[in-house]
Amino acid sequence: MSGRTIGGASTFLASGLLAVALLAAASAADAVPSFARQTGMACEACHTVYPELTHFGRVFKANGYVLSNVKQVRDVTGKKEELLSLAQSVPLSIMAQVSYTQMKTTVPDLSAAGAPGVAQNGTAGFPQQLSLFYAGKIAPNFGAFIQLTYANDSGTIGIDNTDLRFADTTLLGDNKPLTYGISLNNNPTVQDLWNTTPAWGYPYTATNAAVSPLAGTAIDGAFAQDVAGLTGYLYWNESLYAEVGGYRSAKQGQVNALTGGAGPLDGTASNVMSGLAPYWRAAYEYNRGAHSLELGVYGAQFRLYPGAGAPLSGPLNRFNDVAEDLQYQYVSDEHQVTIAGTHIHESMTLDASFANGGSANPTDNLSTTRLWATYYYRRKIGATLAYFSTTGSADPGLYPSTVAAPGGNPGVIVSANGSPDTRGWMAEVNYVPWLNVKIAAQYTVYNKFNGAGSNYDGLGRSASDNNTLYLLLWFAY
Amino acid sequence: MRTSETHHDRPLIPGRAQILPLLVCAAALASGGSPLRAEEPDASARAQAQKLAVTVCGTCHGQEGNNTQPKFPRLAGQNPTYLAAQLKAFRSQGRGDPDAISYMWGMAAELDDDTIAALAAYYAGQKPESGPRADQAAITRGREIYERGIPAEGVPACSSCHGADAHGQQDFPRLAGQHEQYILKQLGSFQSNMRKVAIMHGVAQNLRAAEMESVAAFLQSQP
Repeated sequence: MSGRTIGGASTFLASGLLAVALLAAASAADAVPSFARQTGMACEACHTVYPELTHFGRVFKANGYVLSNVKQVRDVTGKKEELLSLAQSVPLSIMAQVSYTQMKTTVPDLSAAGAPGVAQNGTAGFPQQLSLFYAGKIAPNFGAFIQLTYANDSGTIGIDNTDLRFADTTLLGDNKPLTYGISLNNNPTVQDLWNTTPAWGYPYTATNAAVSPLAGTAIDGAFAQDVAGLTGYLYWNESLYAEVGGYRSAKQGQVNALTGGAGPLDGTASNVMSGLAPYWRAAYEYNRGAHSLELGVYGAQFRLYPGAGAPLSGPLNRFNDVAEDLQYQYVSDEHQVTIAGTHIHESMTLDASFANGGSANPTDNLSTTRLWATYYYRRKIGATLAYFSTTGSADPGLYPSTVAAPGGNPGVIVSANGSPDTRGWMAEVNYVPWLNVKIAAQYTVYNKFNGAGSNYDGLGRSASDNNTLYLLLWFAY
Repeated sequence: MRTSETHHDRPLIPGRAQILPLLVCAAALASGGSPLRAEEPDASARAQAQKLAVTVCGTCHGQEGNNTQPKFPRLAGQNPTYLAAQLKAFRSQGRGDPDAISYMWGMAAELDDDTIAALAAYYAGQKPESGPRADQAAITRGREIYERGIPAEGVPACSSCHGADAHGQQDFPRLAGQHEQYILKQLGSFQSNMRKVAIMHGVAQNLRAAEMESVAAFLQSQP
């Protein structure tokens, strides 16, 4: 999938040269057993099947992950002011993903100049990812979802999705609840309540051992774990939701060349935000019986210094993302149905990249659509069918036709015609023997990849050569 | 298990149908010890309970206890003695139907008696709404069973404990306006004894699925 933050590298096109930057990324996992331990409620209260949230799960999240039904260590003043309310059990969880990935056609072996061979096909990830969470209440109106992840592609442990929340609910005169809160998070949309937006949308997990398309919109995971965002939200009557906030670069593993400290960021860093990137979100959810329908819009505007050796001044690249999303859920004991999707449109004004030759056009546009339908029977056996499409203006600067390698251009991750267009389908079957253990088989079919169906890289590779089978064991405790 | 479908046509035996449930209800009250009595909560406890009910319980049960989600019971107008007893049964993990285990064991785990009383009072004070009307034939049949029982099969009239208007009394819950699906699940849980209530186990064992559906359809339609 293009530009996703899940399960592997995501591509992003906003560097100084607007070449491809691969960002280490992490899997979606908004579903941890420490929440169940804290609330005393089964997974099904908050999830259809993890990580997809039910209405109750969305309300739990909006309220700051603080609903707690376990004994507390408390400190209270004579005026009944709560100074401390500390759960006697620590809300820690672990999560593991073990996977196997097989591409239809493997990729060239780049180990030596002119290497004639191909890489091994069939990648075992053991683990693909291992995460530790603090997920739960910290104080009466303050909760956290903090994920630390070891990923096999980086071979290191790093900060993953993080969402710290203050939230409270007040009753309005008509007995309607108004929840208000603040989220401090590190990934635009990680704080969102619906499983339509990029951070928690489908696919909930994907391989990190296959080829990803070149293009993805900026809000679609490009800044995951690379920013600090502060947003404020209102959630009226558990139905009308509004949120605004801003993001600022918070690079991990970046060192200032002069001080050797973690900052300030300088021109050695790439894709540094100028000022704050505004983020906004509005959604309406209607619930009746076992049905839940959500319609929403969201967006952000990113102004980026190319960096990567250029000073953090002068022209900027601007990415204006506007998106719509929709989710329908039917949740009963027997059947769980979800139909959801999002459409993201991005307008790029590439003053910096056009000036330095990183893009062929001064402006470009890019759109991504994802639609999926999921059915589970008794939360036990399920299947998902998903469609994805990215289209946009061709730009050989952004989507280059060659990439340097010891043996010359190996193709595969390039676009011969400079087009970002990628389109395909995903089919997935799931078996959930227990509610915290999932076994999945996922197959991705590409009808078009980086601009073409056949010979998309100019070296004879077809989009379908990137078709991928992904087998996964995913559990949390 | 019964195999005959012909009992629908058999005449009811009013005398027996009325006496049996009265005996059963009396036995239930006696065996249950003194009925639970909800204390009158003060203004502060009422306000706290209202906030808790709307912002936490309300997500599933509806802000005033008149939800539309049939998985979770409607609580508006529920009699407080029954509701307090159920919350205490969840807290002690004494009520064991599937959704009680999955949801309410946790939710009620740390509720104190005062909060339980205040919550019960909040819901008792809410105006119940009747549910949608289903198939009229089922409602008619359900009314018949509710009011007169099926004496030949040892099924007492539900009304003798739950009241002629199905508004409940003492330990016996209000059933009027309750979701058909919820009532069916409870009858199933009584039948399997996951929810252990001796009287209802006996009743549910003698009810066929179609009869349960009729009674549930009737109750859902009642104001």
